[in-house]
Amino acid sequence: RMSSDGKPTKFQPPPKPVIIDKQKLGVERRFLSPEFIPPRGRTDPLKFYIERKDMIQRRKVFNIPEFYVGHILAVTTADPHANDKTNRFVGICIQRGGKGLGATFVLRNVIEDQGVEVCYELYNPRIQAIEVLKLEKRLDDNLTYLRDALPEYSTFDVNMKPVSHLEHEEIPVNKLQVRMKPKPWSKRWERPKYNIKGIKFELPAKKMKEAQKWSQPWLEFDMLREYDTSKLEEKIWKEVSEELKK
Amino acid sequence: MMPIWTKSGKKHAVTLLKVQDCHVLKYISKEESGGKTSKLLVGGKNVSPFFKSESAMEIFKEAGVPRKQKVTTFNVTDDAIIKPGTPLYAAHFRPGQFVDVTAKTIGKGFQGVMKRWGFKGQPASHGQTKTHRRPGAISTNKAGKVYRGKKMPGKMGNVYRTSFGLKVWRINTKHDIIYVNGSVPGHTNCLVKVKDSKLSTYKDCNKNPPFPTFFADGDEKLPENLYDEEIFQFTDPSVRYA
Repeated sequence: RMSSDGKPTKFQPPPKPVIIDKQKLGVERRFLSPEFIPPRGRTDPLKFYIERKDMIQRRKVFNIPEFYVGHILAVTTADPHANDKTNRFVGICIQRGGKGLGATFVLRNVIEDQGVEVCYELYNPRIQAIEVLKLEKRLDDNLTYLRDALPEYSTFDVNMKPVSHLEHEEIPVNKLQVRMKPKPWSKRWERPKYNIKGIKFELPAKKMKEAQKWSQPWLEFDMLREYDTSKLEEKIWKEVSEELKK
Repeated sequence: MMPIWTKSGKKHAVTLLKVQDCHVLKYISKEESGGKTSKLLVGGKNVSPFFKSESAMEIFKEAGVPRKQKVTTFNVTDDAIIKPGTPLYAAHFRPGQFVDVTAKTIGKGFQGVMKRWGFKGQPASHGQTKTHRRPGAISTNKAGKVYRGKKMPGKMGNVYRTSFGLKVWRINTKHDIIYVNGSVPGHTNCLVKVKDSKLSTYKDCNKNPPFPTFFADGDEKLPENLYDEEIFQFTDPSVRYA
């Protein structure tokens, strides 16, 4: 190639592609388990501090992975009445409740056409292992409506292999719209108080409009209900991460 | 209240009681008090010294101690007398002891007979005229009077009650906290009196307690947390069955 002034130009290699490796950047995803955040009340903060110390102590010995509602978990507990003294249950996490040491999570699965829900305590010493088989968030915080959905949405293979997930990536949100069994349901999920986005309502438009009669639009402006936990969370996150690194 | 697990995997609910600035205030001898044993006055939480008359503050001045919110008496044998002004700590109790806890119950105000005494009331329908939560009959015809102590509506709660025979599971010496089995009368952050149990089954349960009490400036250095033998401590690995 000849340039404009006639001399042969030096070969310019193409610019190298810049790969931003998030792992090396160290952009950490902060996750504080919801049971660390103390509820609003008149209890002494000293009680929450002592409970947190116990929880951190347990987490140092036994690994409790980060998980949300919608993940598929396998839990092995010690069972005195089983043959090899262990009991393994696989299921989708429907809800996480409780604060402090009494925090619980409910796993649901359909085994041989029978829906089974088991409520496990996170800090129970009988739990021997918690494995996250599939990481996937759902559109709602509370998947209790799966009880009224078609059973295919709650069935998970008991011998499922764990799906790999890179540490620094975002947890994928599954925007699945679940189809329901015919009414009557255990709760009227179409009402706005449950605020469910993960159901494909096949009800007539008249029923949906009637359900909106129970909407309480003033609730979001109610200042007494506001509980701003951001500063508390910062403090607790610092405390917990420092202790766990030791 | 918190959950606690034993080594066999059983869960128990536990109440946390904090020993906040307890001091011995006064010693009253047997003859002075007129009872069977001598008494020791003990005071609880510190509060402001203002808004109280001089006569009430005398006891605190003599002991050299800030004013306390609550003052209680303990019947004490002669070999357990403590000098007024000594602070009392949670390490006075040891895990494995049994304890009675007294406190004022939550006040519910003026309550009807169904909530206060657990009466069944009347049916909601089938012709009842204005009678659904009333006591019904209060006495018989033959008696011709209403007996004293008849259960009727009135002020409920805000009364001293005791729960007996509560086991002490754990003691935190750094923050002076006693973990006591089960529930305790009173609301959160209320003042509570903790005594050794008077039940006959637990008479011999106190093996070598600190007698007369645990002195902080003594020679013993206790670990931060004292646990009962059966408690599952979180430093151990998960429970397994053989």
